[in-house]
Amino acid sequence: MTLTIARQMFIAELLKLRRQRAVMAVGTFLSVGVVVIFMGYLQLRHASNPAKYGPAGGLEAFKHLLRALGYFFGVLLATLIGAEAGTTDASSGVFRDLVATGRSRLALFFVRVPAAVALTLALSAVAYGLGVLATFAFAGGRPTPSVSLVLQGAGWIALADVAMSTLAVGIGALTGSRAVTLISLVGLQAIVTPLLVNVGSLGAARDVLLNPALGQLVPYGGGLGVAMATGVAVAVVVGWTAIPAAIGAWRTNTRDA
Amino acid sequence: MIETHALSKAFGKRAALIDADLTVPRGCAFGFLGHNGAGKTTLIRLLLGLTQPDAGTMRIGGRPVPQERATVLARVGAIVEEPHFHKHLTGRENLRVVAAVRGPAAVARIDRVLARVGLADRANDRVRTYSQGMRQRLGVARCLLADPELLILDEPMNGLDPAGILEFRALIAELVGEGRTVFLSSHLLDEVEKTCHAAAVIDQGRLVAQGPIDELVRVRRPRIEIGCDDPHGALALLDGHPAVANAAETADGLSVTLAGDDGVASINARLVSAGIGVFKLQPVRESLEQKFLEITSRVGEAR
Repeated sequence: MTLTIARQMFIAELLKLRRQRAVMAVGTFLSVGVVVIFMGYLQLRHASNPAKYGPAGGLEAFKHLLRALGYFFGVLLATLIGAEAGTTDASSGVFRDLVATGRSRLALFFVRVPAAVALTLALSAVAYGLGVLATFAFAGGRPTPSVSLVLQGAGWIALADVAMSTLAVGIGALTGSRAVTLISLVGLQAIVTPLLVNVGSLGAARDVLLNPALGQLVPYGGGLGVAMATGVAVAVVVGWTAIPAAIGAWRTNTRDA
Repeated sequence: MIETHALSKAFGKRAALIDADLTVPRGCAFGFLGHNGAGKTTLIRLLLGLTQPDAGTMRIGGRPVPQERATVLARVGAIVEEPHFHKHLTGRENLRVVAAVRGPAAVARIDRVLARVGLADRANDRVRTYSQGMRQRLGVARCLLADPELLILDEPMNGLDPAGILEFRALIAELVGEGRTVFLSSHLLDEVEKTCHAAAVIDQGRLVAQGPIDELVRVRRPRIEIGCDDPHGALALLDGHPAVANAAETADGLSVTLAGDDGVASINARLVSAGIGVFKLQPVRESLEQKFLEITSRVGEAR
């Protein structure tokens, strides 16, 4: 496969995702919308009663922003887009027609990953940019994050987005069902993981969970309370990215079209 | 163009295709006939590498598949069962998705193929708004992106209105005129007879007949219909005639099975010389439908 074809396929994958109005609307809400509502609410609250409520921006608000985008809304956004990318060809019946072109099934699978990641990153970047802007604009004399911290925060959110959207593409290809993928991954990240993190008796077994590993890498040191070596955290994040991708590729390669 | 040898495929305990030896000549429209569930789509899916055979070999354009699948399928366009699309995309965008997978030359053909199937005006509408006939045409446009040597069309006439069927028939003739091979599966026997040069019949996973349409519909013993003013007298007169194997009265004359390929002239002379007015002497040609019903097992079981 030439670079030109790979580029064309990437653009086509992106087109399929961009033109899904429902996905784009919900995705925009989960990223940009949430930041606008969150910062807007804090600022309105501050404006209505400055004595009781401090300014909406500053370093603390930035940390809230990172947590919201990295652990929760970023997860939802990446899962939504990754699940769509992983299942859309199979659910529409077009997968068969793509296979019938003679193009390798692995190429058909692996082009979905960068497309899902790119769209997730684009929406996250806008949301993060707005959030950072508000952090500085509404700081009102509070300390603000350094440029280095802002860049590290961007890198951390990007890492979380890449891991989660790749995971969703892989699981989507495995199950072939958007609903099953969404429910299982949102359930894992929003319900199962927080429960397991709080079961102290599990000890180091909790290291294999994605969110605690991401928490170990968060730039301001605000993890989820599961201590692990940085190398272990990196290995866990890589595992959560590579293994589902490999499983998705295997399923795409073996699925009857 | 297509050759299969001893091709077999089972799904669980159910044999979908059994020792299929199929030969499709290059540059013709070839009909692939069978009841629903006879094995038509299974054979097509095997050819396209959508599923793997249990036994047997396949060649397309002289090349073995699946060994050279990528090279072979680069010049094959196919619609399997019914054309599927991303309904939230426009017709043009759907073609762009498949063209991207095929390569830059296919991308450059998008406008041309849309115009060719008569969808240029609706190319920017979402496929969700297309009729069944328009989707079939968009499916053909998608096939043409490959500039195919071989088109494999699974039940392409499904859902088309009479005008659509006529257009489709003309399009297939055009494609064959350009030197392409069209492999057309269908249960619309009349359409296959009108559209195709050759055909194969599959029944319960077995290929039971194949060859040029003319050969498939040729009757084993020639038959003629005779219209005359005295059928009863004509029947008595032809009794024992050496050219007649069998004769029976019908509503407006006689149905005569001939003993050989000739003899019509002598039968006519015999009737006329006896003073019987003959106003019709018509050879009977079986339709593909009659032939199909005769050779497929369902009718055999009904008997």
